[in-house]
Amino acid sequence: MAILEVRGIKKCFDGAWVLNGIDFSLEKGESLAIIGSSGSGKTTLLRCLNFLEIADGGTISVGGEVIFDGDNPSSFTEREIRRKRLHFGLVFQSFNLFPQYTALKNVTLAGELLARERPDYKENRKAILAEIDQNARALLEQVGLSDKLDFYPHQLSGGQQQRVAIARALAQGPDILCFDEPTSALDPELTGEVLRVIRGLADKKTTMVIVTHEMQFAREVSDKVLFIDNGVVVEYGTPEEIFVHPKESRTKQFLERYSGN
Amino acid sequence: MTFAAVTGKLLEGFGVTCTIFILTLILAIPLGLIISFGSMSRLAPLRWLTKTLVWIIRGTPLMLQVIIVFYGPGLIFGWASFPRIQAVLIAFVINYAAYFSEIYRSGIESIPKGQYEAGQVLGMTRTQIFFRVILLQVVKRIVPPMSNEIITLVKDTSLARVIAVREIIMEAEAFIKLEAIIWPLFYSGAFYLLFCGILTLLFGYIERKLSYFKV
Repeated sequence: MAILEVRGIKKCFDGAWVLNGIDFSLEKGESLAIIGSSGSGKTTLLRCLNFLEIADGGTISVGGEVIFDGDNPSSFTEREIRRKRLHFGLVFQSFNLFPQYTALKNVTLAGELLARERPDYKENRKAILAEIDQNARALLEQVGLSDKLDFYPHQLSGGQQQRVAIARALAQGPDILCFDEPTSALDPELTGEVLRVIRGLADKKTTMVIVTHEMQFAREVSDKVLFIDNGVVVEYGTPEEIFVHPKESRTKQFLERYSGN
Repeated sequence: MTFAAVTGKLLEGFGVTCTIFILTLILAIPLGLIISFGSMSRLAPLRWLTKTLVWIIRGTPLMLQVIIVFYGPGLIFGWASFPRIQAVLIAFVINYAAYFSEIYRSGIESIPKGQYEAGQVLGMTRTQIFFRVILLQVVKRIVPPMSNEIITLVKDTSLARVIAVREIIMEAEAFIKLEAIIWPLFYSGAFYLLFCGILTLLFGYIERKLSYFKV
């Protein structure tokens, strides 16, 4: 069974349909690359998955549980939305690290706050916090930053900040990790280190949805590729099908623009 | 007139000055936050009401507000008027809260949306996001404009004399009439300079304390 099942997602901003019925599904351990030109709706789709936007129609299911139903959207309390959000992690284009906290604290903060809601928090406070701390240190090591634990975001390069942001998103143990153009705000020199980390996650069978303009990377890392244009899915398939044998003329046209450089 | 006698009188007045300053600050800082929430509210009528209030308070002289708070209740409604110092405090607190609220609003609105969204996707509540993520960034941003406003407040306290509250300048001026000496006025100025100097050092210290991160 697919871990993520998206059916007919729609989103309208001021009378314009930015997403007009998006369908796709993703198996556990797979990574999906979403490609398309700017303004095609890629980012909005990710934001709908993470409930930063509430879609105007369609359904989202995670592991068989319908977590969003466009026919019945008003029934969400803040508490429910918070719980549903934890199925997803999101890495932003602009990192959005918390500037007043160290790299380590950025990774532990949300977990510490969430742990307070556990019934056994009072008795096991020390053990719970130690576990969160240890997990965060391990994640920062995984992204190659174990020597930067006590650095504040402004002391880190963009690539390092983005790697902290990846560790932070992983710390909440999401079922699906989403990336919103994770290297678009970086110098070309720094994109490599971030892409390496994402590639490492793909090798470990992390379920991921990656919105990206790095075509070569999408081709190498993803199991499925979704090409979106004008809020609809133009083509969906394996990297081989999309990049080597695209069926639609719109896909060919888009890819030609990228292969030029 | 001996230096000691003048000093004694001026210290009395300075006590009143400090009382107005400190109580205004303690009450206006939280009240300003409430007003700023009103001016950023999603409820249009509340927003409109708050903005009108802020417009009236910032658009009229503080001196006028002090006079109205003191004489208004008696002359308009026939009520007992507030004790003088209370009337001064009411006018000052409302006035400064209005100014503070605008500083808070600009500070809160200057924090990028991404900070809220990062908190949201990590499963934090709105309250947690405000207190754990946003607030300290806002504090850092508003320290310079707040320092300005608070230093202005030190000197605005002298407006209390308009309803005969004996703050330091009123005490110093009395020596002109009684003794025909002017130096106590200069002496009173030294109190203000010293006070503002200490505040300037304090705000500098806070700015340095918050310089460990950048927003």
